[in-house]
Amino acid sequence: MMQAWLILAAALFSLGLFGLLTRRNAVGILLSVELMANAVNVVLVAFGRWHGVADGQVFALFTTAITVAEAAIGLALVILLYRQRQDVLVDAATEMRG
Amino acid sequence: MTDTSTLTNFAPLVLDLMVVFTALLVLATDILLPAGRKKGLGQLTAVALAGILGLSFVVDTSGLAFSGAYEGSAWTLFFKRLFLGVGALVALGGTEHVDQRYPGRQGELWLLLLSTLLGMMLLPGARNLILFVVAFELMGLPLVLMAAWPKTEDADGPGRKAPEAALKLYVVSAASTAITGMGMALLFGASGSLALADLAGAPQTPLLWLGLFTVIAGLSFKVGAVPFHQWVPDTYEGAPTPVVGFLSVAPKAAGLAAFALILLEAFGSAQARWLPVMLFLTVITLVVGNALAVPQNDAKRLLAYSGIAQIGYMLIAVVIGTEAGQAVLLFYLAGYAVTNLGAFLVIEAVTGDAPDADLGRFAGLYQRAPGLAFALLIFLLSLAGIPFVVGFWAKLYVFMAAYEAGLGWLVGLGAALSILALFYYLRLAKAVYLRSVDDPQPVAAGGGLKLAIWLCLAGTIGFGAWPAPVVDAARAAAAAFGG
Repeated sequence: MMQAWLILAAALFSLGLFGLLTRRNAVGILLSVELMANAVNVVLVAFGRWHGVADGQVFALFTTAITVAEAAIGLALVILLYRQRQDVLVDAATEMRG
Repeated sequence: MTDTSTLTNFAPLVLDLMVVFTALLVLATDILLPAGRKKGLGQLTAVALAGILGLSFVVDTSGLAFSGAYEGSAWTLFFKRLFLGVGALVALGGTEHVDQRYPGRQGELWLLLLSTLLGMMLLPGARNLILFVVAFELMGLPLVLMAAWPKTEDADGPGRKAPEAALKLYVVSAASTAITGMGMALLFGASGSLALADLAGAPQTPLLWLGLFTVIAGLSFKVGAVPFHQWVPDTYEGAPTPVVGFLSVAPKAAGLAAFALILLEAFGSAQARWLPVMLFLTVITLVVGNALAVPQNDAKRLLAYSGIAQIGYMLIAVVIGTEAGQAVLLFYLAGYAVTNLGAFLVIEAVTGDAPDADLGRFAGLYQRAPGLAFALLIFLLSLAGIPFVVGFWAKLYVFMAAYEAGLGWLVGLGAALSILALFYYLRLAKAVYLRSVDDPQPVAAGGGLKLAIWLCLAGTIGFGAWPAPVVDAARAAAAAFGG
């Protein structure tokens, strides 16, 4: 059963990482990061259950709270970018290079 | 099972709690002060942080707290003093910038500065993965907001690039959080415990090593080690200069403390496992940071790549893993903090209102502001490691410690790259001293900014001429590390 949870988490994490690297839409990037964070939570809760301790579940609660704060900041930045450039594609944010 | 005797022991966290009270004080004062008179908030922050720094020499902050999740020692105290000092200097030097550009929103910026400082101060003492992650994020998230602070208020000025700078920092930061978190989840899975002390004793399974290397990758993003460095120059170029000065020093020190905690405190007995990976990271960070700094034409980007290279030297001090290495790391951090912060504050003084920090803007600085030109020259020489400013001792001690640890080839590489570094630092110095302008315009820098620059200069020269007290403090702190 443990293996199934880990495979699920690995799939979620890889999907998130793939999205993070390929998405051009800033909202898509935020969603990808959420997927990665939730993969972490799956691993934590699964291992907590496996070891028979509550530590994993407690850790998952903390990471959830952190992820929420992170998402709020991310959305604020996307709105900021949109107000400035009327676009949420990250291609609009490539002024600085090199 | 869990020791609860230290649950209500707040003594190790006195300084951190004082920072919390300062944050609340700034928040309350911000509400009470009428618009247009909020400049005092920055000064309040600077004075309060300097006061807490003074307090750190009086109170005893060693001991365990929260059932062993937090441990205060001379090592954590050294980092706390470093962060408090940097925070006070940034508040002092940034007050005028903030008051001119964002008069109505300055209280919140100082509140964020205090929040991120709190995260940094908690991080070195974390002995539990949950506290580690919470402190790390408390440090990281406010930094994103501080980088985005100019918003759209000056659509054509230096703040125009801020949203892009903040977005790049954010994406890296969020990805790093997820990757570090995944590594920690795997470490928990392999060991069944969240205490750092239990990790090394866990069964030596592939799961444990996978977790360790995932955490290393996540942390490398945060300190900007190559190949996880691409965000650094863009963020430095676009964010407000006082914030960049802070960003280039304090979070880097905290990131290296995090590396020391994971690699040495938790996995010190498994050095043979992680050493090849860390040496690889160190070498490419040194090479790429130095090489890419050479063609830069923007002072902030130049210092961004130079900062990546400096991280490489500090990583040497971490990976050698000895007590001498720890002492060298602490000394290097203290010297780097005053030097790099000072350099960014001079850039702020010179290019504060300009849309970029092109090297051409520094032309003839010795005519326009001889004092600032001299300060910048000293900072650059210190970064390059010229005798007898603080950067020289820092580099020398790193090389000595690495040689003693049997990494002679790394010393050779580092020394060769220092010569390359001298070239790009002197490019900026050349613009300052060897290019003249016909009608020198005086540089209009505020009193607080000038005072902060002089304090950084005093530190750079003072630690260089008389390094013994800092060396002794660093040695004592290193002896307390890893116990």
